[in-house]
Amino acid sequence: MRNLIAFLERFKIFIYFIFLQVIALSFYFSYISYPRGQFLTSTWAISGTFLNFQNDFIKFFHLEENNVVLQQENIRLRKNQLSNYVKISSELVQKNDTIYKQHYDFIPGKVINSTITRRNNYFTLNIGSSQGVRVGMGVFSDNGVVGIIYMTSRYFSLVKSVLSENSNLDVEIQPTGIHGYLKWGGTNPQRGSVIGISTDIKLKKNSLVYTRGGSGIFPKGIPIGRVEKLLPIEGKPIWDVVIKFSQDYRSIQNVYVIKNLMQEEQKKLEANIPAENKK
Amino acid sequence: MPILRFLGVFMLQVFVFNALEPGFGIHIMIYPLFIALLPFNNNVFSMLTISFFLGFIIDIFSNTFGLHSSAALAMAIARPPIYNNFSPRDGYDNLKLPTILRMGFRWHLVTFGPLLLIHHLWFFALESFRLDELFFTLKKTFLSAFITFIVCMILQYIFFKKEKSR
Repeated sequence: MRNLIAFLERFKIFIYFIFLQVIALSFYFSYISYPRGQFLTSTWAISGTFLNFQNDFIKFFHLEENNVVLQQENIRLRKNQLSNYVKISSELVQKNDTIYKQHYDFIPGKVINSTITRRNNYFTLNIGSSQGVRVGMGVFSDNGVVGIIYMTSRYFSLVKSVLSENSNLDVEIQPTGIHGYLKWGGTNPQRGSVIGISTDIKLKKNSLVYTRGGSGIFPKGIPIGRVEKLLPIEGKPIWDVVIKFSQDYRSIQNVYVIKNLMQEEQKKLEANIPAENKK
Repeated sequence: MPILRFLGVFMLQVFVFNALEPGFGIHIMIYPLFIALLPFNNNVFSMLTISFFLGFIIDIFSNTFGLHSSAALAMAIARPPIYNNFSPRDGYDNLKLPTILRMGFRWHLVTFGPLLLIHHLWFFALESFRLDELFFTLKKTFLSAFITFIVCMILQYIFFKKEKSR
């Protein structure tokens, strides 16, 4: 017993260090693998409020470019309006015989805190569960995909961006529509890679990469980037397709959160796949 | 004023240096300066506690979930051995602060430099947590530590008065 006390006495500093270190690291690894709580991140109300305050200053520096981006989007939307189209011939009558139902809803938000240099990069949005944001929803901007909601609090939410280790979005590449998975190498915030595409498929440079919409998180056709080059992976018959992101994540400001109104239906249907077919 | 320094370091880190992204994987972390500038005779227990707390609130604001606290702890426990190793012949003057102005550039380089490297290496190694990115992690560590060291030097020249020579 005396030896034990002497031992503790001698190593008390080190034991205290280990104790605190275990607290810190258990926080780190539990958050990395599975988001549990909501405090202790920037979605927490206090830190969120501060970051919002900071963003109020910074957003003015980006007003001009944001206006340009929004203007371009307005033009794109205006082009789709019915009043823009002219009847080619009076005999042709376009009949709308399909009933449309809304599939996706969009919630606008602003990025108030972001990193791009880490291994896993998270963005904080100024919208939260009270605005209808839920964990697992997709996030995109006018220029491209941003990420997936990782955690929400009442008025803020955290996005795990595509600049993370395991983003694994399913993507398609024009013109053949071949699909693969999006990865990020962890070094360059402007480039990512698509893997899972067999080497017998020829891909052209600059062909567009967009979301496939398979998992119901993103609608089909949201741009991600363009193919820059094809690198072979040693020992595997698949390409490492290097793409350049169409969104510059270093200056991201306005984003939209996607609410899939038919997610439940898709999940219910896909739950019927027999278990042996699932990987 | 330790409490003012604490707030200053925290504010600068969270609102200024977290927003700066110079590229090449560089991430400027100036809060180790606060730990290095704690008094010479500071109790190791209180130093560990303060470092943990400082790292923790920076974690909250930068979505790193405990990384900063862990790295700050590693630096705090490495401080006493390194400071003792480079102590002057007649020991440290406990009334003085270990700033670059009082202790000189040479001393600052051999004590604060290794501490920064330990802190940054711990941080980046835990962050990537894989061996195949070892080279990139080391590159990030050395580049960031170099830039951080320069920034910390500038900060000390701005915020501390030069001692009158006797």
